[in-house]
Amino acid sequence: MSVIDNPAQVAPVDNVDIWDRDDMEPRVKEILDRTVRDRPTGPYSAKTDAEIIAMLQRYYTAQGLTGIEISQVQRMAGGASKEQFAYTLRHTDEAAGERLVLRMDPLEAISQTCRGREAQLHDALGTVMPVAPVRGLDPDGEVLGQPAIILGFVNGVTEPTDMKGRGVSGMGSSYGEWADKLAPQFIDALATLHDFDRTGCDLSYFAEPEPGTRQAAIWQVNWWSKLWWDGIVQPVPIVTYAERWLRENAPVCENTVICHCDLRIGNFMFEEPSGKFTAVLDWELAHIGDFHEDLAWACQRLFGMYDDKGEFLVCGLMPRAEFLRRYEVASGNTVDPDRLRYYEVLNAYKCAVMDLGQAIRAATESNNHQDLVLTWLASAGAVFLAQIVQLIQEA
Amino acid sequence: MLPNIDVRIANLIKAMEQVVVPALPESERLARDQAMLVVGHLRMISGQWKSALRFEQVALDALTDLAEKLAGIVAAPFAGQLAEAAQTARKADRGSIDGLEQAYNALGGVIDNVILGGPDHASFPQAAVDVLFDYGSRQARVERTWFKAIGFDPDRADLPEIADVL
Repeated sequence: MSVIDNPAQVAPVDNVDIWDRDDMEPRVKEILDRTVRDRPTGPYSAKTDAEIIAMLQRYYTAQGLTGIEISQVQRMAGGASKEQFAYTLRHTDEAAGERLVLRMDPLEAISQTCRGREAQLHDALGTVMPVAPVRGLDPDGEVLGQPAIILGFVNGVTEPTDMKGRGVSGMGSSYGEWADKLAPQFIDALATLHDFDRTGCDLSYFAEPEPGTRQAAIWQVNWWSKLWWDGIVQPVPIVTYAERWLRENAPVCENTVICHCDLRIGNFMFEEPSGKFTAVLDWELAHIGDFHEDLAWACQRLFGMYDDKGEFLVCGLMPRAEFLRRYEVASGNTVDPDRLRYYEVLNAYKCAVMDLGQAIRAATESNNHQDLVLTWLASAGAVFLAQIVQLIQEA
Repeated sequence: MLPNIDVRIANLIKAMEQVVVPALPESERLARDQAMLVVGHLRMISGQWKSALRFEQVALDALTDLAEKLAGIVAAPFAGQLAEAAQTARKADRGSIDGLEQAYNALGGVIDNVILGGPDHASFPQAAVDVLFDYGSRQARVERTWFKAIGFDPDRADLPEIADVL
């Protein structure tokens, strides 16, 4: 048994109350409380093109635009979480038109997050990495009727066209010869993000966990355990024990960084045939925390696969040891195996909460635009239960 | 039963694959995605439905075994609560999926409280953790097998058939 598995051996290191469930970012708590409040207002139906046009007309009118024309509305594929539409906006001062993406919250999704936080990160990080420009925001849905962000349309693909239909979707995928083009940029994006100086950035939707304490970890445990208990459909003893273990073994985070927290290769958009990244997508889970959390997320088994030699490839790109070594070189950060293991448990816990908790709750209430996707993803929940057991036993 | 459920599910899959999906324009991505998911769910259900009652029985039995083992390890008052809840679970209507689920949820709630140590966060002994992990490993394997047809599990090649775990 490691020290980290036996908290009795560890002297108190800070004043963080590991069982104070209310100790979390205020905006996160607001979103989670809103979820419970609005849950009974369902069911939710997928929006029609006509509804989207009416919503956008209302939004741009409120923005003071005139001569508004919304055209070429096209629902975007994927999205277990957000409902997304591409469209072209023309108005009196922009006759040529701009292609845009409306990314909005259904009533409930597999995760419950904040569009305002996404917008602030897009604005802050646009100078150091490719992200879509923010063209509009309604963080609480006051005008559109549901929370949304509007982004500039970015060209690119998230899976190589020549590999379509071979199961490549960022989950359980191998990128084959594309790995040589994508892997260096993937490592660079992680290093760049974790080195980003956020001084002076407007990150008012975020709160900063206190460095040198366990608060970064405990805030995450409180976020996801609240989501679990607020929507629990059926008790899962391993999920409950994981929460306890995560509280009792929370590590100190000395230096906090911006963590994307869903930084797997499927969330990068790139050009063909160069493979050059054009956008880093899906910042909804991002927060300020421990860089190990991003590394642990990328290492998840569900996002990778085994190669012909039986070696597991992180995100279908490279072996785990190589991934961590290249990250250390690029970032200058030293990976602590104990912290990495802790965040692997945390991430497996998060996924179990999403799959076996929130996804099933949202589908049960019929509160998503594609409930069928949620129950499909929920079927993978036991994979994470097995990982939680294995990871804690190995810690 | 004529027509039986297997035939009807097979009919549904055929209609979706041969009529509905081809009729959907490529531009209707959501409709096409959803239609293919319907097919996927139907294929999975076709391999599960005959065992659904047995699955719930096995799940409740495993949870009840866990509660009884934990009752022999944890301190009062948790031990008594677990023993009583397990006894109630043993009396569940084993011919009803709804009844089994209700019994599972009631017993699971008691176990959750013990794991968290109640409002004072009482300790959860290592022996109890060992018992819990033994249960967790076996039950996760049952559930991974139950859903292996979805294709997400990176180790699905190592999983047995549903009949082998129920």
